[in-house]
Amino acid sequence: MEEPSLEVSGSQGDRVAEGVPRAATILLVDDDPIFRLIMVARLEKLGYRVFQAEDGGQGLEMIRRLQPDLTILDWIMPKMDGPDICEWVRRDPLLKSSQIFLMSGHDRPEDIEEGLNRGADGFLSKDASPLEITARVQAGIRSSALVRQLAYARDAILAREQTLEAELQSAASFIESLLPSPGVPVPGIHLSWHYRPSLTLGGDLFGVTRWGRDYLGLFMLDASGHGVSAALRAASMVAFLHPDNLIRVSESYDPGAILSAANRRFPLSSEGEYFTLWVGALHLPTWRLRYASAGYAGVVLCRPHANSVWLEQADLALGFDPDGTFTTGEQEIRLGDRLYLSSDGVYEALSAEQVMWGKERLQRVIERHATRPVDYAIDQCFQASRAWQQAEHFRDDAALVGLERVDEQQDGITLL
Amino acid sequence: MDITQRAVLNATVLDVNGDLTYSNRAAFKTAVEQVKSRNCQHLIVNLEQVRFVDSSGLGLLVLMSQSFKLQKAQFSLLKPQSYVREIMSLANIPNMIPIYETEGDALTARAA
Repeated sequence: MEEPSLEVSGSQGDRVAEGVPRAATILLVDDDPIFRLIMVARLEKLGYRVFQAEDGGQGLEMIRRLQPDLTILDWIMPKMDGPDICEWVRRDPLLKSSQIFLMSGHDRPEDIEEGLNRGADGFLSKDASPLEITARVQAGIRSSALVRQLAYARDAILAREQTLEAELQSAASFIESLLPSPGVPVPGIHLSWHYRPSLTLGGDLFGVTRWGRDYLGLFMLDASGHGVSAALRAASMVAFLHPDNLIRVSESYDPGAILSAANRRFPLSSEGEYFTLWVGALHLPTWRLRYASAGYAGVVLCRPHANSVWLEQADLALGFDPDGTFTTGEQEIRLGDRLYLSSDGVYEALSAEQVMWGKERLQRVIERHATRPVDYAIDQCFQASRAWQQAEHFRDDAALVGLERVDEQQDGITLL
Repeated sequence: MDITQRAVLNATVLDVNGDLTYSNRAAFKTAVEQVKSRNCQHLIVNLEQVRFVDSSGLGLLVLMSQSFKLQKAQFSLLKPQSYVREIMSLANIPNMIPIYETEGDALTARAA
Protein backbone atom coordinates (compact mmCIF):
# COMPACT_ATOMS: atom_id res chain seq x y z
CA MET A 1 0.00 0.00 0.00
CA GLU A 2 1.24 3.41 -0.81
CA GLU A 3 2.07 5.32 2.27
CA PRO A 4 -0.08 8.44 2.35
CA SER A 5 1.64 9.90 5.38
CA LEU A 6 2.69 13.46 5.16
CA GLU A 7 5.34 15.16 7.16
CA VAL A 8 4.03 18.59 7.98
CA SER A 9 6.63 20.92 9.36
CA GLY A 10 5.38 23.43 11.83
CA SER A 11 6.78 26.84 12.53
CA GLN A 12 9.62 25.30 14.55
CA GLY A 13 9.18 27.19 17.68
CA ASP A 14 7.78 30.68 17.58
CA ARG A 15 4.40 29.59 18.85
CA VAL A 16 5.49 26.63 20.93
CA ALA A 17 4.24 26.91 24.49
CA GLU A 18 6.77 27.52 27.22
CA GLY A 19 8.35 24.30 28.51
CA VAL A 20 7.41 22.31 25.41
CA PRO A 21 10.35 20.99 23.36
CA ARG A 22 10.70 22.62 19.96
CA ALA A 23 9.79 20.58 16.93
CA ALA A 24 8.23 17.87 19.04
CA THR A 25 6.72 15.22 16.78
CA ILE A 26 3.13 14.07 16.78
CA LEU A 27 1.71 11.12 14.88
CA LEU A 28 -1.97 11.40 14.08
CA VAL A 29 -3.68 8.11 13.22
CA ASP A 30 -7.21 8.49 11.93
CA ASP A 31 -9.11 7.00 9.01
CA ASP A 32 -11.08 10.25 8.50
CA PRO A 33 -9.09 12.46 6.07
CA ILE A 34 -11.18 15.55 6.84
CA PHE A 35 -10.57 15.28 10.56
CA ARG A 36 -6.86 14.67 9.91
CA LEU A 37 -6.76 17.84 7.84
CA ILE A 38 -8.32 19.90 10.62
CA MET A 39 -6.09 18.46 13.36
CA VAL A 40 -2.90 18.76 11.32
CA ALA A 41 -3.62 22.43 10.71
CA ARG A 42 -4.29 23.02 14.38
CA LEU A 43 -1.14 21.20 15.52
CA GLU A 44 0.96 22.91 12.88
CA LYS A 45 -0.05 26.23 14.34
CA LEU A 46 1.34 25.07 17.67
CA GLY A 47 4.72 24.42 16.06
CA TYR A 48 4.78 20.64 16.04
CA ARG A 49 6.01 18.35 13.29
CA VAL A 50 3.03 16.20 12.39
CA PHE A 51 2.93 12.81 10.69
CA GLN A 52 -0.23 11.10 9.57
CA ALA A 53 -1.40 7.53 9.14
CA GLU A 54 -4.76 6.46 7.76
CA ASP A 55 -5.20 3.16 9.63
CA GLY A 56 -4.00 1.18 12.61
CA GLY A 57 -1.49 -1.05 10.80
CA GLN A 58 0.23 1.87 9.18
CA GLY A 59 0.08 3.80 12.44
CA LEU A 60 1.83 1.02 14.37
CA GLU A 61 4.53 0.79 11.71
CA MET A 62 5.11 4.56 11.93
CA ILE A 63 5.23 4.52 15.73
CA ARG A 64 8.02 1.93 15.48
CA ARG A 65 9.87 3.82 12.78
CA LEU A 66 9.44 7.42 13.96
CA GLN A 67 8.98 7.02 17.72
CA PRO A 68 7.02 10.29 17.91
CA ASP A 69 6.78 12.33 21.10
CA LEU A 70 3.00 11.91 21.12
CA THR A 71 0.67 9.63 19.21
CA ILE A 72 -2.98 10.49 18.84
CA LEU A 73 -5.10 7.47 17.88
CA ASP A 74 -8.63 7.44 16.68
CA TRP A 75 -10.57 4.85 18.66
CA ILE A 76 -12.50 3.30 15.79
CA MET A 77 -10.54 2.37 12.67
CA PRO A 78 -10.65 -0.52 10.21
CA LYS A 79 -8.49 -3.65 10.86
CA MET A 80 -6.80 -2.42 14.01
CA ASP A 81 -8.45 0.09 16.31
CA GLY A 82 -6.87 2.53 18.74
CA PRO A 83 -6.94 0.34 21.88
CA ASP A 84 -5.42 -2.55 19.87
CA ILE A 85 -2.51 -0.32 18.90
CA CYS A 86 -2.09 0.75 22.54
CA GLU A 87 -1.74 -2.89 23.59
CA TRP A 88 0.81 -3.63 20.85
CA VAL A 89 2.88 -0.62 21.88
CA ARG A 90 2.86 -1.54 25.58
CA ARG A 91 4.10 -5.04 24.75
CA ASP A 92 7.08 -3.68 22.80
CA PRO A 93 10.07 -2.94 25.10
CA LEU A 94 11.35 -0.27 22.73
CA LEU A 95 8.03 1.55 22.53
CA LYS A 96 6.29 0.93 25.80
CA SER A 97 7.11 4.36 27.24
CA SER A 98 5.50 6.15 24.22
CA GLN A 99 2.86 8.73 25.06
CA ILE A 100 -0.47 7.82 23.48
CA PHE A 101 -3.81 9.62 23.49
CA LEU A 102 -6.97 7.95 22.37
CA MET A 103 -9.51 10.06 20.56
CA SER A 104 -13.19 9.37 20.22
CA GLY A 105 -16.37 11.11 19.22
CA HIS A 106 -17.75 10.44 22.66
CA ASP A 107 -16.20 10.37 26.09
CA ARG A 108 -18.28 7.98 28.17
CA PRO A 109 -16.58 7.09 31.46
CA GLU A 110 -16.55 3.37 30.63
CA ASP A 111 -14.77 4.11 27.33
CA ILE A 112 -12.20 6.26 29.06
CA GLU A 113 -11.64 3.52 31.62
CA GLU A 114 -11.21 0.88 28.93
CA GLY A 115 -8.84 3.07 26.91
CA LEU A 116 -6.62 3.80 29.92
CA ASN A 117 -6.67 0.15 30.99
CA ARG A 118 -5.54 -0.95 27.54
CA GLY A 119 -2.53 1.35 27.56
CA ALA A 120 -3.53 4.90 26.66
CA ASP A 121 -2.02 7.77 28.63
CA GLY A 122 -4.84 10.22 27.96
CA PHE A 123 -8.10 10.75 26.26
CA LEU A 124 -9.22 13.35 23.73
CA SER A 125 -12.79 13.97 22.75
CA LYS A 126 -13.34 14.94 19.16
CA ASP A 127 -16.07 17.22 20.47
CA ALA A 128 -13.69 19.06 22.75
CA SER A 129 -13.04 22.72 22.12
CA PRO A 130 -9.87 23.66 20.21
CA LEU A 131 -8.56 25.23 23.43
CA GLU A 132 -9.01 22.01 25.40
CA ILE A 133 -7.43 19.87 22.68
CA THR A 134 -4.51 22.28 22.49
CA ALA A 135 -4.02 22.19 26.26
CA ARG A 136 -4.21 18.41 26.41
CA VAL A 137 -1.75 17.96 23.54
CA GLN A 138 0.70 20.34 25.19
CA ALA A 139 0.37 18.44 28.47
CA GLY A 140 0.97 15.17 26.60
CA ILE A 141 4.12 16.55 24.98
CA ARG A 142 5.40 17.71 28.38
CA SER A 143 4.73 14.25 29.82
CA SER A 144 6.51 12.70 26.86
CA ALA A 145 9.56 14.89 27.47
CA LEU A 146 9.64 13.86 31.13
CA VAL A 147 9.23 10.17 30.30
CA ARG A 148 12.07 10.39 27.79
CA GLN A 149 14.28 12.15 30.32
CA LEU A 150 13.59 9.33 32.73
CA ALA A 151 14.38 6.79 30.03
CA TYR A 152 17.69 8.53 29.26
CA ALA A 153 18.52 8.66 32.98
CA ARG A 154 17.66 4.98 33.33
CA ASP A 155 19.87 4.10 30.34
CA ALA A 156 22.71 6.17 31.78
CA ILE A 157 22.35 4.40 35.13
CA LEU A 158 22.31 1.00 33.44
CA ALA A 159 25.42 1.90 31.47
CA ARG A 160 27.11 3.07 34.66
CA GLU A 161 26.10 -0.13 36.41
CA GLN A 162 27.66 -2.15 33.62
CA THR A 163 30.86 -0.16 33.96
CA LEU A 164 30.89 -0.67 37.73
CA GLU A 165 30.21 -4.37 37.25
CA ALA A 166 33.16 -4.61 34.88
CA GLU A 167 35.33 -2.76 37.42
CA LEU A 168 34.20 -5.15 40.17
CA GLN A 169 35.05 -8.14 37.98
CA SER A 170 38.43 -6.64 37.24
CA ALA A 171 39.07 -5.98 40.93
CA ALA A 172 37.95 -9.53 41.81
CA SER A 173 40.37 -10.96 39.23
CA PHE A 174 43.15 -8.81 40.65
CA ILE A 175 42.40 -9.95 44.20
CA GLU A 176 42.40 -13.59 43.12
CA SER A 177 45.74 -13.10 41.40
CA LEU A 178 47.18 -12.20 44.82
CA LEU A 179 46.11 -15.47 46.43
CA PRO A 180 48.69 -18.19 47.07
CA SER A 181 48.84 -21.36 45.00
CA PRO A 182 47.45 -24.42 46.76
CA GLY A 183 49.90 -27.26 47.33
CA VAL A 184 53.17 -27.23 49.23
CA PRO A 185 54.34 -23.73 50.17
CA VAL A 186 57.19 -25.22 52.23
CA PRO A 187 58.19 -28.86 52.83
CA GLY A 188 55.98 -30.33 55.55
CA ILE A 189 52.97 -28.08 54.96
CA HIS A 190 50.06 -28.79 52.70
CA LEU A 191 47.85 -25.82 51.75
CA SER A 192 44.26 -25.92 50.49
CA TRP A 193 41.72 -23.14 50.23
CA HIS A 194 38.41 -22.13 48.79
CA TYR A 195 37.50 -18.52 48.10
CA ARG A 196 34.20 -17.11 46.87
CA PRO A 197 34.10 -13.32 46.55
CA SER A 198 30.66 -11.84 47.20
CA LEU A 199 28.78 -10.27 44.31
CA THR A 200 29.85 -6.85 45.53
CA LEU A 201 33.41 -7.86 46.47
CA GLY A 202 34.03 -7.74 50.19
CA GLY A 203 37.73 -6.93 50.62
CA ASP A 204 38.88 -10.26 52.09
CA LEU A 205 42.35 -11.55 51.30
CA PHE A 206 44.76 -14.11 52.65
CA GLY A 207 48.37 -15.03 52.13
CA VAL A 208 50.74 -17.90 52.81
CA THR A 209 54.27 -16.98 51.91
CA ARG A 210 57.87 -17.47 52.92
CA TRP A 211 59.22 -14.82 55.29
CA GLY A 212 62.97 -15.00 55.15
CA ARG A 213 64.73 -18.34 55.51
CA ASP A 214 63.05 -19.62 58.66
CA TYR A 215 59.41 -18.52 58.63
CA LEU A 216 56.21 -19.26 56.83
CA GLY A 217 54.11 -16.12 57.05
CA LEU A 218 50.32 -16.44 57.21
CA PHE A 219 47.71 -13.74 57.15
CA MET A 220 43.99 -13.35 56.74
CA LEU A 221 42.54 -9.87 56.38
CA ASP A 222 39.21 -8.20 55.86
CA ALA A 223 38.99 -4.61 54.65
CA SER A 224 35.61 -3.32 55.84
CA GLY A 225 33.08 -2.23 53.27
CA HIS A 226 32.52 -3.48 49.77
CA GLY A 227 33.51 -2.87 46.20
CA VAL A 228 36.61 -1.65 44.46
CA SER A 229 37.58 0.61 47.36
CA ALA A 230 37.67 -2.32 49.80
CA ALA A 231 39.64 -4.40 47.28
CA LEU A 232 42.20 -1.63 46.81
CA ARG A 233 42.64 -1.21 50.56
CA ALA A 234 43.06 -4.97 50.90
CA ALA A 235 45.73 -4.88 48.20
CA SER A 236 47.53 -2.05 50.03
CA MET A 237 47.58 -4.19 53.17
CA VAL A 238 49.08 -7.08 51.21
CA ALA A 239 51.85 -4.73 50.10
CA PHE A 240 52.37 -3.73 53.75
CA LEU A 241 52.69 -7.42 54.69
CA HIS A 242 55.48 -8.05 52.19
CA PRO A 243 58.37 -9.54 54.18
CA ASP A 244 60.82 -6.81 53.16
CA ASN A 245 58.43 -4.15 54.41
CA LEU A 246 57.74 -6.04 57.63
CA ILE A 247 61.42 -6.08 58.54
CA ARG A 248 61.59 -2.37 57.81
CA VAL A 249 58.54 -1.29 59.83
CA SER A 250 58.54 -3.79 62.70
CA GLU A 251 62.16 -5.00 62.64
CA SER A 252 61.00 -8.58 63.10
CA TYR A 253 58.41 -11.13 62.07
CA ASP A 254 56.74 -10.92 65.46
CA PRO A 255 52.97 -10.87 64.75
CA GLY A 256 52.15 -8.54 67.66
CA ALA A 257 54.78 -6.06 66.49
CA ILE A 258 53.50 -6.36 62.91
CA LEU A 259 49.94 -5.56 63.99
CA SER A 260 51.10 -2.64 66.12
CA ALA A 261 52.90 -1.22 63.10
CA ALA A 262 49.84 -1.85 60.92
CA ASN A 263 47.65 -0.12 63.50
CA ARG A 264 49.77 3.00 63.16
CA ARG A 265 49.89 2.78 59.37
CA PHE A 266 46.13 2.17 58.85
CA PRO A 267 44.04 4.37 61.18
CA LEU A 268 40.26 4.38 61.01
CA SER A 269 39.32 6.39 57.92
CA SER A 270 36.97 9.36 57.93
CA GLU A 271 34.28 6.98 56.67
CA GLY A 272 34.88 4.46 59.45
CA GLU A 273 36.81 2.04 57.21
CA TYR A 274 39.18 -0.33 58.95
CA PHE A 275 40.84 -3.75 58.76
CA THR A 276 40.55 -6.89 60.77
CA LEU A 277 43.71 -8.91 60.43
CA TRP A 278 45.18 -12.15 61.73
CA VAL A 279 48.90 -12.71 61.30
CA GLY A 280 50.88 -15.88 62.02
CA ALA A 281 54.60 -16.61 61.73
CA LEU A 282 55.43 -20.32 61.66
CA HIS A 283 59.02 -20.88 62.66
CA LEU A 284 60.00 -23.79 60.46
CA PRO A 285 63.05 -25.10 62.40
CA THR A 286 60.95 -25.52 65.58
CA TRP A 287 57.39 -25.69 64.15
CA ARG A 288 56.27 -23.09 66.62
CA LEU A 289 53.52 -20.76 65.44
CA ARG A 290 53.38 -17.25 66.83
CA TYR A 291 50.26 -15.30 66.05
CA ALA A 292 48.31 -12.11 66.80
CA SER A 293 44.84 -10.95 65.93
CA ALA A 294 43.37 -7.51 65.31
CA GLY A 295 39.67 -8.22 65.70
CA TYR A 296 39.95 -11.36 63.58
CA ALA A 297 38.12 -14.26 65.15
CA GLY A 298 38.16 -17.01 62.53
CA VAL A 299 41.37 -19.04 63.05
CA VAL A 300 41.22 -22.46 64.67
CA LEU A 301 43.90 -25.07 65.31
CA CYS A 302 42.58 -28.64 65.11
CA ARG A 303 44.59 -31.54 66.46
CA PRO A 304 44.08 -35.26 65.94
CA HIS A 305 43.97 -36.16 69.63
CA ALA A 306 43.27 -32.92 71.46
CA ASN A 307 40.67 -30.21 71.67
CA SER A 308 40.57 -27.59 68.98
CA VAL A 309 41.86 -24.15 69.93
CA TRP A 310 40.67 -20.83 68.50
CA LEU A 311 43.72 -18.63 67.99
CA GLU A 312 42.21 -15.28 68.83
CA GLN A 313 42.93 -12.44 71.17
CA ALA A 314 40.69 -9.81 72.71
CA ASP A 315 42.51 -7.14 70.70
CA LEU A 316 40.58 -4.66 68.60
CA ALA A 317 40.52 -4.23 64.86
CA LEU A 318 43.15 -1.98 63.31
CA GLY A 319 42.39 1.69 63.85
CA PHE A 320 39.84 1.17 66.62
CA ASP A 321 42.38 2.24 69.25
CA PRO A 322 45.13 4.49 67.87
CA ASP A 323 47.40 3.60 70.82
CA GLY A 324 46.52 -0.09 70.79
CA THR A 325 49.11 -2.82 71.20
CA PHE A 326 48.67 -6.41 70.16
CA THR A 327 49.49 -9.58 72.04
CA THR A 328 51.44 -12.40 70.45
CA GLY A 329 50.29 -15.92 71.27
CA GLU A 330 52.15 -19.14 70.58
CA GLN A 331 51.31 -22.73 69.70
CA GLU A 332 53.35 -25.73 68.62
CA ILE A 333 52.29 -27.23 65.32
CA ARG A 334 52.63 -31.01 65.46
CA LEU A 335 52.43 -33.63 62.76
CA GLY A 336 48.79 -33.99 61.69
CA ASP A 337 47.73 -30.63 63.10
CA ARG A 338 45.50 -28.56 60.90
CA LEU A 339 45.15 -24.81 60.97
CA TYR A 340 42.00 -23.33 59.45
CA LEU A 341 41.70 -19.61 58.65
CA SER A 342 38.11 -18.65 57.98
CA SER A 343 36.71 -15.35 56.82
CA ASP A 344 33.69 -14.10 58.76
CA GLY A 345 31.65 -14.49 55.58
CA VAL A 346 31.64 -18.27 56.17
CA TYR A 347 30.56 -18.43 59.80
CA GLU A 348 28.40 -15.30 59.90
CA ALA A 349 26.00 -16.82 57.36
CA LEU A 350 22.49 -15.97 58.46
CA SER A 351 19.50 -18.31 58.47
CA ALA A 352 16.01 -17.22 57.48
CA GLU A 353 15.32 -16.91 61.23
CA GLN A 354 18.21 -14.44 61.60
CA VAL A 355 20.41 -16.95 63.41
CA MET A 356 24.15 -16.98 62.71
CA TRP A 357 25.73 -20.26 61.57
CA GLY A 358 28.57 -19.46 63.93
CA LYS A 359 32.06 -20.63 64.80
CA GLU A 360 30.89 -23.59 66.89
CA ARG A 361 29.07 -25.15 63.93
CA LEU A 362 32.06 -24.43 61.70
CA GLN A 363 34.31 -26.18 64.22
CA ARG A 364 32.01 -29.20 64.39
CA VAL A 365 32.05 -29.66 60.61
CA ILE A 366 35.82 -29.33 60.56
CA GLU A 367 36.23 -31.87 63.35
CA ARG A 368 33.71 -34.27 61.78
CA HIS A 369 35.94 -34.48 58.72
CA ALA A 370 39.26 -34.51 60.57
CA THR A 371 40.35 -37.75 58.91
CA ARG A 372 39.43 -36.69 55.39
CA PRO A 373 41.62 -34.50 53.18
CA VAL A 374 41.66 -30.83 54.13
CA ASP A 375 40.11 -29.67 50.86
CA TYR A 376 37.24 -32.09 51.44
CA ALA A 377 36.65 -30.64 54.91
CA ILE A 378 36.71 -27.12 53.46
CA ASP A 379 34.17 -28.10 50.83
CA GLN A 380 31.91 -29.57 53.50
CA CYS A 381 32.10 -26.34 55.51
CA PHE A 382 31.00 -24.31 52.50
CA GLN A 383 28.16 -26.70 51.81
CA ALA A 384 26.97 -26.54 55.42
CA SER A 385 27.17 -22.75 55.54
CA ARG A 386 25.26 -22.44 52.26
CA ALA A 387 22.63 -24.87 53.48
CA TRP A 388 22.25 -22.80 56.65
CA GLN A 389 21.63 -19.57 54.78
CA GLN A 390 19.67 -21.36 52.04
CA ALA A 391 21.48 -19.38 49.36
CA GLU A 392 24.28 -20.10 46.92
CA HIS A 393 25.90 -16.67 47.16
CA PHE A 394 27.36 -15.27 50.37
CA ARG A 395 26.57 -11.68 51.33
CA ASP A 396 30.24 -11.17 52.20
CA ASP A 397 33.43 -12.67 50.77
CA ALA A 398 33.76 -16.26 51.92
CA ALA A 399 37.23 -17.77 52.27
CA LEU A 400 38.45 -20.82 54.13
CA VAL A 401 42.13 -21.72 54.17
CA GLY A 402 43.43 -25.02 55.52
CA LEU A 403 47.05 -25.83 56.34
CA GLU A 404 48.15 -29.26 57.51
CA ARG A 405 51.48 -30.27 58.87
CA VAL A 406 52.43 -33.49 57.12
CA ASP A 407 55.42 -35.76 57.07
CA GLU A 408 57.98 -34.04 54.89
CA GLN A 409 58.79 -37.39 53.29
CA GLN A 410 55.24 -37.51 51.94
CA ASP A 411 56.00 -34.38 49.94
CA GLY A 412 53.03 -32.59 51.40
CA ILE A 413 50.38 -34.95 50.05
CA THR A 414 47.83 -36.17 52.58
CA LEU A 415 47.21 -39.86 52.01
CA LEU A 416 43.98 -40.79 53.73
CA MET B 1 16.74 2.75 57.19
CA ASP B 2 14.58 4.94 59.39
CA ILE B 3 16.14 7.02 62.16
CA THR B 4 14.17 9.06 64.65
CA GLN B 5 15.54 11.27 67.38
CA ARG B 6 14.22 12.06 70.83
CA ALA B 7 15.47 13.77 73.95
CA VAL B 8 15.51 11.86 77.24
CA LEU B 9 16.74 13.73 80.33
CA ASN B 10 20.28 14.80 79.55
CA ALA B 11 20.72 12.48 76.56
CA THR B 12 19.60 12.11 72.98
CA VAL B 13 18.31 8.77 71.77
CA LEU B 14 18.49 7.75 68.11
CA ASP B 15 15.99 4.99 67.38
CA VAL B 16 17.35 3.13 64.36
CA ASN B 17 15.06 0.92 62.32
CA GLY B 18 16.59 -1.17 59.52
CA ASP B 19 20.00 -2.56 58.65
CA LEU B 20 23.14 -0.68 59.59
CA THR B 21 25.21 -1.50 56.55
CA TYR B 22 27.47 -0.21 53.80
CA SER B 23 24.50 1.03 51.78
CA ASN B 24 22.92 2.89 54.73
CA ARG B 25 26.08 4.36 56.20
CA ALA B 26 25.55 7.91 54.93
CA ALA B 27 22.10 8.26 56.54
CA PHE B 28 23.37 7.02 59.89
CA LYS B 29 26.48 9.19 59.82
CA THR B 30 24.45 12.28 58.96
CA ALA B 31 21.98 11.64 61.79
CA VAL B 32 24.74 11.19 64.38
CA GLU B 33 26.69 14.21 63.20
CA GLN B 34 23.58 16.38 63.44
CA VAL B 35 23.19 15.36 67.09
CA LYS B 36 26.89 15.88 67.76
CA SER B 37 26.87 19.35 66.23
CA ARG B 38 24.37 20.41 68.90
CA ASN B 39 26.90 19.62 71.65
CA CYS B 40 25.04 16.53 72.81
CA GLN B 41 26.72 15.16 75.93
CA HIS B 42 25.36 11.64 75.68
CA LEU B 43 24.11 9.90 72.55
CA ILE B 44 22.32 6.59 72.95
CA VAL B 45 21.89 4.61 69.73
CA ASN B 46 18.94 2.29 70.12
CA LEU B 47 19.60 -0.87 68.07
CA GLU B 48 16.50 -2.76 69.15
CA GLN B 49 15.02 -2.63 65.62
CA VAL B 50 18.30 -3.29 63.79
CA ARG B 51 18.42 -6.81 62.38
CA PHE B 52 21.81 -6.70 60.67
CA VAL B 53 25.09 -4.84 61.03
CA ASP B 54 27.98 -5.37 58.61
CA SER B 55 31.62 -4.35 58.87
CA SER B 56 30.87 -0.87 57.53
CA GLY B 57 28.21 -0.41 60.20
CA LEU B 58 30.62 -1.50 62.92
CA GLY B 59 33.26 0.90 61.62
CA LEU B 60 30.81 3.78 61.75
CA LEU B 61 29.81 2.96 65.33
CA VAL B 62 33.47 3.01 66.35
CA LEU B 63 34.16 6.19 64.37
CA MET B 64 31.21 7.97 65.99
CA SER B 65 32.24 6.70 69.41
CA GLN B 66 35.75 8.07 68.90
CA SER B 67 34.43 11.47 67.82
CA PHE B 68 32.18 11.72 70.90
CA LYS B 69 35.13 10.81 73.14
CA LEU B 70 37.14 13.61 71.54
CA GLN B 71 34.56 16.15 72.66
CA LYS B 72 34.35 14.48 76.08
CA ALA B 73 30.84 13.22 75.45
CA GLN B 74 29.49 9.69 75.75
CA PHE B 75 28.32 7.34 73.03
CA SER B 76 26.29 4.30 74.10
CA LEU B 77 24.50 1.44 72.41
CA LEU B 78 21.14 0.11 73.51
CA LYS B 79 19.51 -3.32 73.26
CA PRO B 80 21.18 -4.95 70.22
CA GLN B 81 19.40 -8.03 68.88
CA SER B 82 21.17 -11.34 69.37
CA TYR B 83 22.75 -11.51 65.91
CA VAL B 84 23.96 -7.92 66.09
CA ARG B 85 25.27 -8.54 69.62
CA GLU B 86 27.16 -11.60 68.36
CA ILE B 87 28.73 -9.66 65.49
CA MET B 88 29.79 -6.89 67.86
CA SER B 89 31.16 -9.38 70.31
CA LEU B 90 33.26 -11.10 67.62
CA ALA B 91 34.79 -7.71 66.84
CA ASN B 92 35.36 -6.94 70.55
CA ILE B 93 33.17 -3.83 70.27
CA PRO B 94 31.92 -4.13 73.90
CA ASN B 95 35.53 -3.46 74.98
CA MET B 96 35.26 0.07 73.67
CA ILE B 97 31.59 1.06 73.45
CA PRO B 98 29.26 0.56 76.42
CA ILE B 99 26.16 -1.51 75.65
CA TYR B 100 23.06 -1.28 77.84
CA GLU B 101 19.85 -3.24 78.10
CA THR B 102 17.61 -0.36 79.16
CA GLU B 103 17.53 3.37 78.63
CA GLY B 104 17.51 3.75 82.38
CA ASP B 105 20.78 1.84 82.70
CA ALA B 106 22.37 3.99 80.02
CA LEU B 107 21.23 7.22 81.64
CA THR B 108 22.31 6.09 85.10
CA ALA B 109 25.73 5.04 83.87
CA ARG B 110 26.27 8.49 82.40
CA ALA B 111 25.10 10.22 85.54
CA ALA B 112 27.49 8.08 87.59
